[in-house]
Amino acid sequence: MGVLVVGSIGDIGLVGLAQRFRGQDVHYLLTGQDDAAQLGRYGVSRVYQLTTGIDEYSFSETLTDLVNRGSYSIIITPVNRFYRTAAPMAAQRLSIPLLTDVIDVKPIDDELEVVLNSIGNRAQVTVKVTGRVLLMAPPARFKPSENPVNASIEPLQPKVVNVVKVVSTEGKAKGGARIEDAELIVAVGRGFRRREDLKLAFELAEVLGAEVGCSRPIAADLKWLSEDHWIGLSGRRVRPRLYIAIGISGQPQHLAGMMESRTVVVINNDPNAPFFRNCDYGVVEDLYSFIPALTKRLRDILKR
Amino acid sequence: MDVVVLVKLALDTGQLRVSEGKVDVESTPLKVSDIDRNAVEEAVRVRERVGGLVHVVSILKYGPVQRRLQEAEGLLREVLAMGADDAYLVADEALIGSDQLATAKVIASVIRRLGKYDLVIAGEATVDGYTGQVGPRVAAELGIPVVTYVRELRVEGSRVVAKRDLEDAVQTVEAPLPALVTVTREINTPRIPTLLQIRAAMRKPISKLTLADLGLTLKPTIKVESVMPMQVKRRGVVIREGTVDEKADRLVQALIQEGLLTPR
Repeated sequence: MGVLVVGSIGDIGLVGLAQRFRGQDVHYLLTGQDDAAQLGRYGVSRVYQLTTGIDEYSFSETLTDLVNRGSYSIIITPVNRFYRTAAPMAAQRLSIPLLTDVIDVKPIDDELEVVLNSIGNRAQVTVKVTGRVLLMAPPARFKPSENPVNASIEPLQPKVVNVVKVVSTEGKAKGGARIEDAELIVAVGRGFRRREDLKLAFELAEVLGAEVGCSRPIAADLKWLSEDHWIGLSGRRVRPRLYIAIGISGQPQHLAGMMESRTVVVINNDPNAPFFRNCDYGVVEDLYSFIPALTKRLRDILKR
Repeated sequence: MDVVVLVKLALDTGQLRVSEGKVDVESTPLKVSDIDRNAVEEAVRVRERVGGLVHVVSILKYGPVQRRLQEAEGLLREVLAMGADDAYLVADEALIGSDQLATAKVIASVIRRLGKYDLVIAGEATVDGYTGQVGPRVAAELGIPVVTYVRELRVEGSRVVAKRDLEDAVQTVEAPLPALVTVTREINTPRIPTLLQIRAAMRKPISKLTLADLGLTLKPTIKVESVMPMQVKRRGVVIREGTVDEKADRLVQALIQEGLLTPR
């Protein structure tokens, strides 16, 4: 019984999701060397600390053993490529279901109702589960409430399996974008004919105080912007107050990354662009004449 | 070398059907999950370099089974036309709406039945569920190593060398065969089959299997209660008329009214 949260100290938001299982002990498998005692502030009564970095295969074995040892019924991990690899392996070994992109849970008697974003982020799916389950959720969506206890801290010995050998690791070029947290986003797509022309979008973004995002081809194929700008199903998922899409046609994979934006503005010279069916405000116009005009108008009224 | 490629017949999310406020899964068309085309392409390229066979394994996850069979077969012909040699389709009522635990058990069972396999290739995730679970789960079920998010793959003798695309790094790893690899869309550009290849694909074998054929019974662990389209009501105000400046002005006024801009 009990809930096991897995992640680094930065994933502490997941404790907020764990707290929705009322009356259950919350334990934490903490990765990294941060101070484990601080988790006690949020009612985490036991911390297993794993200070050495290990590969996904070894992590899945380590996690499987810990879940069996502690008989946890609910295991919660963040959603990123490391856990997307390690967690399903652990789930298969434990013979349990795994639900990703979880946004809410409601324990009802012996059953658990879980709400998640699915079908390419186009639908909310509600499922019922009985028995053990592994949940993956974006930590930033939840906020733990304070409930101070003394957390007991236990170092965790990893079970290292040397099957996949890491030969080298190279850091990726970063544009310094923090697109997931941005309140305002100006996103660019294939409507831009040349890399230099993106400056039109950067100028607009600067006036608004917005971050610049992009669709898949701009980051993945043309490499005009680094991948931390890429919004979509396999890129980043964003939820800004204002999303301005310029020269993006609106393929389902792109929409999946920005569905939760509050107000959506679409600018495209093709009146039949599918994105116009998913916008609050659309402007049918050539971006090369419209964006400078819009930027100028905004400069005037915002006095920037 | 025997290469197995996993192909999901996914819901076409661009054509989701909605009725009475719910997603109508049964009447939404299926398509080959986009990233799985990259998986097929990579499998065919591996075979072209080192010889062998490419086997496609697919599980029908959306019903009604009888009506979907023809649709599924048509989609599998598309990947056979890309160069795969044969296909295995598991279609069974018990698999409709089942979870990935079951899917992985069934896939692993089909792969074991092949007798011999060296490399299993899947997409990093499917375009409908996008959970990316099945690859690592199948690897765990088969007890073989998994290398995910691969954007460059080389087979060297009895091992694979792969470049993995992680959030903030590119990692180069080696794993012994047999192994399971999941690929991203960046790994290659899937080929468009010629008319001749499409015709040739009509004669390639597709074996249809049920759970009974595989000697499997499944216990459902999850039950889908409802599938609601994401509740986003968009205003849909499209400005078509006027000069460029008039259009800019109308948009700015709208954003001020939404409280998104504050004139100074």
